[in-house]
Amino acid sequence: MDNPLSQNPDSMWGRFFKISELERMLDQDLTRLYPERDSYFQTSVCQGMLRRILLLWCLRNPEYGYRQGMHEILAPLLYVLHIDVENLSEVKRTYADHFVDKFDGFSFHENDLTYKFDFKKFSESQGDNNGFENTSAKASSLYEFDPEIQTTVLLNDAYGAEGELGIVLSEKFMEHDAYSMFDSLMSGSGGAIAMAKFYSHPSGKPHTGPPPVIEASSALYHLLYNVDSSLHSHLVELGVEPQYFALRWLRVLFGREFSLEELLVIWDEIFAHENTVSSPAVACDAESNFALLESPRGAFICAFAVSMILNLRSSLLATENATISLQRLLNFPDDTKLAKLLAKAKSLCAIGRDANKLTPVPIQSESYDRRKSNVTRGHSLSMDSSSTNTPPTVVPDSYWEEKWRVLHKEKGNKLSAGGDQVPNRRNGWSERVRLHLSRTESDPSPSKKNERTKIPKPFVRRSLLDDLARKLGADEDTKEDTVSDADVGIGGSVDVNREDVTDKNYESSSSAAGSEDNSSNFSEPSGPIHRSSDNVNEVERSSVASNSSMDENDARICVNGPECSPLPVSNPFDENENDTQMCVDNPECSHVYVSSHHDGGSSKSAGNDEAVGKLATGIKEIKHLSGKFQWLWKFGRNVNEGTSVRTVPEDAKACSNGIDQNNFVDISTADGCNCSSETSKGETVDQNLRVSWKNIGQSMIENIQVLESVFQQDRGGQVAGSSENLSKNGLVGKGQVTATAALKELRKISNLLSEM
Amino acid sequence: MVLVLALGDLHIPHRAPDLPAKFKSMLVPGKIQHVICTGNLCIKEVHEYLKTVCPDLHITRGEYDEDSRYPDTKTLTIGQFKLGVCHGHQVIPWGDLDSLAMLQRQLDVDILVTGHTHQFTAYKHEAGVVINPGSATGAFSSITYDVNPSFVLMDIDGLRVVVYVYELIDGEVKVDKIDFKKTTTPTNLPH
Repeated sequence: MDNPLSQNPDSMWGRFFKISELERMLDQDLTRLYPERDSYFQTSVCQGMLRRILLLWCLRNPEYGYRQGMHEILAPLLYVLHIDVENLSEVKRTYADHFVDKFDGFSFHENDLTYKFDFKKFSESQGDNNGFENTSAKASSLYEFDPEIQTTVLLNDAYGAEGELGIVLSEKFMEHDAYSMFDSLMSGSGGAIAMAKFYSHPSGKPHTGPPPVIEASSALYHLLYNVDSSLHSHLVELGVEPQYFALRWLRVLFGREFSLEELLVIWDEIFAHENTVSSPAVACDAESNFALLESPRGAFICAFAVSMILNLRSSLLATENATISLQRLLNFPDDTKLAKLLAKAKSLCAIGRDANKLTPVPIQSESYDRRKSNVTRGHSLSMDSSSTNTPPTVVPDSYWEEKWRVLHKEKGNKLSAGGDQVPNRRNGWSERVRLHLSRTESDPSPSKKNERTKIPKPFVRRSLLDDLARKLGADEDTKEDTVSDADVGIGGSVDVNREDVTDKNYESSSSAAGSEDNSSNFSEPSGPIHRSSDNVNEVERSSVASNSSMDENDARICVNGPECSPLPVSNPFDENENDTQMCVDNPECSHVYVSSHHDGGSSKSAGNDEAVGKLATGIKEIKHLSGKFQWLWKFGRNVNEGTSVRTVPEDAKACSNGIDQNNFVDISTADGCNCSSETSKGETVDQNLRVSWKNIGQSMIENIQVLESVFQQDRGGQVAGSSENLSKNGLVGKGQVTATAALKELRKISNLLSEM
Repeated sequence: MVLVLALGDLHIPHRAPDLPAKFKSMLVPGKIQHVICTGNLCIKEVHEYLKTVCPDLHITRGEYDEDSRYPDTKTLTIGQFKLGVCHGHQVIPWGDLDSLAMLQRQLDVDILVTGHTHQFTAYKHEAGVVINPGSATGAFSSITYDVNPSFVLMDIDGLRVVVYVYELIDGEVKVDKIDFKKTTTPTNLPH
């Protein structure tokens, strides 16, 4: 018999206890709902409505139960309804006269619900006494009001809910409306995105895949990968799984990240997009589809999330700790410009839709084998017409092996193709150049060398493309000329530094690290190309002026990736470590570098007078960089890649310590000059010029070797942390000349490449 | 929908080691709002256990209770009802309805819960209801033969109280239900 302690869950009492359990959970959440707006949300009316709606929905959908977050989806809906009703009553009150029931004595069609009460006619038919004048005055003035208010008044029926506007918006039925809105949102009303799915938990039955929310988070990362693969790889390497933050974002549709007003704007955008499944044909390919991206609304949600991530790009790339990145992501800054985010999201929407059609990136979820087989650069790097798609039957590898294979495939692809897209220039650039520099000698260079060469890299990189562009197909004879040209207007210290640089370059020709650094730097030129000269100048100056800012810049210079990171900190001569990072880090580094430059640049002022000097130093750096790049690339080919994220800050410190900052100032100034000149050219898309690539590559290598030798010399005389040594070393003559020539060549190469 | 558990005369550890397992599985925390115990627990551990079932615990002293601080009688109000608790060994003859009714009038309660006889009874008379939950462990009693473990769960809802009796007969839990309705008594006018 049914008794309170019965163990039978279906008994009346069992259900009673289940319901009371639900209610308890609900109350827990509701009391904490929007505490800063408790003027509405904490009133008993609102709380009662919320409780009833949620309870009813959960009871009608027992498979989902109540999950925390559902109340946060319902609350804004109810709020909107409430505000609208309030506005309506405001209007009613303000223009109460016009809402007065004037039906007495006036025949109207009771049964005709569509009968529009013509105010004007009515007022005219009034008696011609004071009342008439009043009403006519009011009526005439009615048409002077807002068209909105006019509509409101005209549509309103004095009897409330039966009025036309009352049908749409009525206080009596607020709860009902909120329930239907909530229900349709949760169930998706036949569309692709059903919020309830984000709350579901795959139970024992054999599921074809991960829980929908996990899958949606992977869709997010997939889109991010297509849009900004360096940031994606950085986050992946840190081990930041998307669902850590995406869970909260998706389940509450960003309700926790923005204030209520901003949230309503976002939701307007989201709901403006249809929820229908856009391309049923694509659904056949079950391997690669993300349910989230199937509908325009889902794609927009995904794109908005990605734009939010991109908004935090610089700070995310700077973090080396998964915890800190998650903190940044979960505590979204309050001062973000919503319009910007929305605009970016709209632009990413199309990418998202396309991305859904391609085979997905092997993302971190190794347990979901069906998605692990393919790696494509997808949308962003579609330069390769023959982008490799391994058949889905490939045995799922570990994530790192996938990356290794991806990178190798890309290298192969780049050899065959050559096209590049401007937006992802940074990624493609590094890969391409790396492929064509086939003469690298891979030796791990001492950490110092890496450090030394790190700092100039960013600056050099900018001018690197310029040089390349100019130099495409040219030989190195012009080095001398360019060098001489460059040596104008530079102070004595600059000259000295330059000499040091060139000497070191020569000496370090055998240093793989240097080349790697160069090459890694080289991989970034696409990024900096877009920078303004001011940025470059500023960055250069900052290197001199403040160690700390330099550190910050260097911290981002993970271009040296393989070598830089481990060397300064742990084992300077750990070759393996160096090698492993190469390929993976490069695109990331380039991105990182770009951001760092941007940050560093702001602290300094641009200088025009040193433009020429910068040019000279830039040339040197370019040579230096190209040599490094060569080595870097070679390393990448020879050594198995691990894709561990290197401690960029450590690198940065080492770099800053080990490198002659004075030198860099000059170099950077030269670079800055070049960079600025080349910024305009830098936007051109590369063409498919294999031969020219090779030429460029070779000349770059030579230049870099020259630079490296100079640097090596310089490094020999320098102890970590003393920047003055370099300048004092005074390597003059041949070393300097060759170094500057090498730099010039590199610059030409970069120019050529940028022009292509 | 207030659930009140009434039990007593466990005589742990002297006459019984523990509550029957089936009873224990039913008494999960979180469902019951009040617990009334007529007495003879006898040790503190039983007191702790009853506290886990529900923190609101009311106990009166039985003759074998080791804690002497329990009161002889207790009254409390739950909803519209006034409840009185007493072990019952003080009221002689033991288990006599008229004597218990006298105690009920003395305490001025609607529902009187007593024990000591280890026998479940539920009487209704004009003034109110007298309930004896029996012995929750089925402990030996010199005045009752064939003691079955039993306890009582009252569902107080407004002016109505539903009494569920749980008895362990032959290893099975049998449940019985009795309805009582409180008649709103007119205010007593001083004569």
